[in-house]
Amino acid sequence: MSALCQVFALILRDQRTALLRGAALSVVVLLAGVSLLGLSGWFITAAAAAGLAGAGATFDVFRPSALVRFLALGRTAARYGERVLTHDATLRAFASLRVRLLRSYASAPYDRLMALRGPQLLNRLTADIDALDGVPLRLILPLFAGIAAQLLTFAVLWALVGLTVAATLALGFIGGGALVLIWTGRSALVPSRRAELAAQAFRARFIDMVQARGDLAIYGQLVAQKHSVLAADTRRQADRIAQDRIERRAGLALSCLGTGLATAALAIGMSLAQRGQLSPALAATGFFAALALHETIAPLRRAVAEIGRMVLAARRVVAGLSAPVVQPQTSLTATTLRLDAVSFHRSGASRPSLRPLSLTLNPGETVVLAGPSGAGKSTALLLAAGLLTPSTGTIWLGRHSLTDCSETALRAQLTLVPQRTTLMGSSIRQALHPAAPDADDASLWAALTAVALDQTIRAKGGLDAQLGPKGSGLSGGEARRLALARALLRRPKFLLLDEPTEGIDTATARAVLQGIRRYLPEAAILTASHRPAELEWADIVLTLP
Amino acid sequence: MARDETQTLAKLLAPQQGVLHRAAVLASVAALLWPAQAALVALALAGLLTGAPLFWQGVAGFALLGVLRAVLNYHAEGMTFAAGVNVIAQLRTTVVEGEASRSDGLSAGAIAALAAEKLDALLPYISRYAPARARVAVVPLMILALALWQSWAVAVIFLITGPLIPVFMALIGWAAQSASQRQMAEIGSLNDLLVERLAALLDIRLLGAGEAVTKGFAEAADRLRAQTMAVLQVAFMSSAVLELFAAIGVAMVAVYVGFSLLGVLSFGSYATPLTPAAGIFLLLLAPEFYQPMRDLSAAWHDRAAALAVAVEVADWQDAPVVPLLGQGARVARLAGPAVIEATGVRVRLGQRLLVLPDFQVAAGEKIAVVGPSGAGKTTLLRLLAGMQVAEAGQVSVAGRLLGDETADAWRARLGWMPQSPHFLKGSLRHNVSFGQGGDLDLALHGAGVQDVVASLPRGLLTRLGEGGAGLSGGEARRLTLARAMYARPDVLLADEPTADLDAATAHMVTAGLLALAATGCTLIIATHDEALAARMDRVIRLGATP
Repeated sequence: MSALCQVFALILRDQRTALLRGAALSVVVLLAGVSLLGLSGWFITAAAAAGLAGAGATFDVFRPSALVRFLALGRTAARYGERVLTHDATLRAFASLRVRLLRSYASAPYDRLMALRGPQLLNRLTADIDALDGVPLRLILPLFAGIAAQLLTFAVLWALVGLTVAATLALGFIGGGALVLIWTGRSALVPSRRAELAAQAFRARFIDMVQARGDLAIYGQLVAQKHSVLAADTRRQADRIAQDRIERRAGLALSCLGTGLATAALAIGMSLAQRGQLSPALAATGFFAALALHETIAPLRRAVAEIGRMVLAARRVVAGLSAPVVQPQTSLTATTLRLDAVSFHRSGASRPSLRPLSLTLNPGETVVLAGPSGAGKSTALLLAAGLLTPSTGTIWLGRHSLTDCSETALRAQLTLVPQRTTLMGSSIRQALHPAAPDADDASLWAALTAVALDQTIRAKGGLDAQLGPKGSGLSGGEARRLALARALLRRPKFLLLDEPTEGIDTATARAVLQGIRRYLPEAAILTASHRPAELEWADIVLTLP
Repeated sequence: MARDETQTLAKLLAPQQGVLHRAAVLASVAALLWPAQAALVALALAGLLTGAPLFWQGVAGFALLGVLRAVLNYHAEGMTFAAGVNVIAQLRTTVVEGEASRSDGLSAGAIAALAAEKLDALLPYISRYAPARARVAVVPLMILALALWQSWAVAVIFLITGPLIPVFMALIGWAAQSASQRQMAEIGSLNDLLVERLAALLDIRLLGAGEAVTKGFAEAADRLRAQTMAVLQVAFMSSAVLELFAAIGVAMVAVYVGFSLLGVLSFGSYATPLTPAAGIFLLLLAPEFYQPMRDLSAAWHDRAAALAVAVEVADWQDAPVVPLLGQGARVARLAGPAVIEATGVRVRLGQRLLVLPDFQVAAGEKIAVVGPSGAGKTTLLRLLAGMQVAEAGQVSVAGRLLGDETADAWRARLGWMPQSPHFLKGSLRHNVSFGQGGDLDLALHGAGVQDVVASLPRGLLTRLGEGGAGLSGGEARRLTLARAMYARPDVLLADEPTADLDAATAHMVTAGLLALAATGCTLIIATHDEALAARMDRVIRLGATP
């Protein structure tokens, strides 16, 4: 529940004015509806009474009928305005909530980033947030407007029709409505949460099935995976039907409550009128108002029935939102990168990923880390790039400890090309774009030339040649070189490369390495390597045990 | 086109038509209880005016009929909901089955959006639009008849204002549908954008492009908001206009009834002046004449959304796909020596026609497939695994033609090392063993990943990222070798098994492959690695890029 409140607070903070106006309009809509029906009932009954009494000529027809027209038009306009305002505000708040979530995920610690799975993240950013639109639109605003309309109607009916009718309706609707809605919320909590979990399981399993189709087919697991996808959907349908039954029971109970209270208002009004304590027209007013007041509780049934789903989604969204990190503002003018007895040991692992390592990296220098697989070459690069925090020792960027540098300042100076990279976009140009949004064609070609990819790209049709998802359409070696070109476009002072020429034949690899040095003559380069071509290229080779 | 969509949609609903029909009858009966309730209330209030004894039976009847109406609605809603859920479950099964019987197709993000979310857009259509349409056909006519019975003037008012509503709705329908289609397209493209960006979060961060990418996403999210709002605005506008028509109609009835009761007007009804009971009855009836049409218009954009989904389903069905031979089920191994023979094979890759050389592979042979990038090395491996279908020529395995009947049994004898591994949600153990029995230690040892597994925080229970995130490229590659070895294959198909590996590890993998070959397993290895190719018995050389 507190997560729901937090989400509503977020939405409110984002779109306060629009939501407050929307809330005011929702009250107007409900009140106009009650007044319209109450007034019409009074008008017709009073007119009939006047006609029977032969006083038709003196009866004021025009003011009530003008008021009826005004209320009808006003309600229509208010409802349109309220819907547009609240929906637009909610959608805007959600768009910015999605962006905030994405930003939090993008700045998550390295180990967490690696453990995040695409389909789950997609669920967080789309399905979870979609599940929350009911919080303002179907739960909180209607609840607020319904209570406000009930209280105001109570006051007016007390003055016009008397306390008995007014109190019966207010207590009946608020008390009875609360009972039904609370019962509904409680019993629907489990099925609605389970339905949502099953929906997300369906999605994650289905994406797994589509993406790993080949592997699954080879190992005879495709049919099994298909059944597990369908099982998630079957579970979801069963839970949705259970949830729907609870919601319909709530609808049934609320309809009966509405009918019962309208009947009560009619009966009380009639007996008061018969005793002469109330005019027949005002007795009719109470009955008609009761009919209209059903509108204040009926829309809540759906929101209450899906509260489990909303709470689940709200918890996850709130958990995903990291507090905006206040970055230390350092302007970096460092020229050296120094590792001072840096080691790394993942908690729970039986051996350290990197034993204590010291090294200094100066401008224009190429240092290569060599050593067997598992010696910690990649870990050393991740530490130097600030993606992991050393278990012991300190990394110095000039005079600053790496932990004191802001992410923005650090990335402006230092670029790491990890062993595996992912290309984005549907063309060569788009794949390079994130690294240098403002680069012109000449700069893009210069970077491609440095990694000996210019001929290939020209043969494929130039910068606008199409790429498939994740850079498919390029061979492994070509994709590798494109990732290197992307990093070069950043023109970093410190370039960290993990197995830079993997998948590239030896002659090309030599050309690529020379091209990188020629492109960035002043950069300090640190690589993790095992190929002779890369070792020959180094000024200094450090072999890790 | 419009007719096709409507027909597609109708076809989807056909199995549930009976249930939907019964539900519509129930809902219409419920709606027609209201005139009876109105009549009882009118008589009770009129009795109050004339000083007749209180009509308590009427009050009780109003309450009873109200409860009966609620019960009927409860059942009708339940029937339509169940029918809707059935239709969607059926369709979702079709999409899942379809995706499981092809080896290539639409992007995962787009297809997941269709199956997981968009199909749900059919539910409001079935549970709201269809019943509303059924009510529109019955309820207004009945109410018109009742009004005519009491007053022809009121019936005339209904007759004039009523037909304006469908005309107006048809106009709005056009706008709603195109807005819905744009919105659906936007949902799909936002999903694709997200799937791509979310897979590249680390790259984005290392390139310092976080802010730019977030901004791009914010723009896309805002476009989706604008499209959604456009759909909603049409919907809100249409229901506002209908509410307006209804309000004008009700106001005209009220004015007529008011003046008649006062004796100012003396035409339009059969009892002159109109009796109080008839006046109150007509006033209570008026809003219900318009209600079914308002319900229909409120559900109008549900229809538009459902049609947009029907179009997407049809597009999905028509999309060019690479079919998968067989089903991908676990079956008994195909009998016979593992000989492979390919003759005259041509494979269509989009616009391109790839011509493969004829070749035979004897059981236990070690083959390297070499050739420049794009020459079809991967396609050849996929072809031998039944994941690519030849346009011409034939592939036979173990003396049988590789086709739908033989593919699963043939694949039961295969091991597979793909170029880029994809790990499923689940533990490392599950990703290697797929829940099948076997010697896990032996496989891990053979692939040289025992140490890697030991260094992971939770060992075999570690959950991997989908691309093997948390492991180095070489480690992820060696896990796929372990997976292949665990399956005890007769034929191993490996795509660039030593790429991304340092010399020592590449040597280890090569040793593992050769040890596997020593047990009699055929090796077919696509590779750039000359050292690895040299260890094979024979080389199949594929042509240059066309």
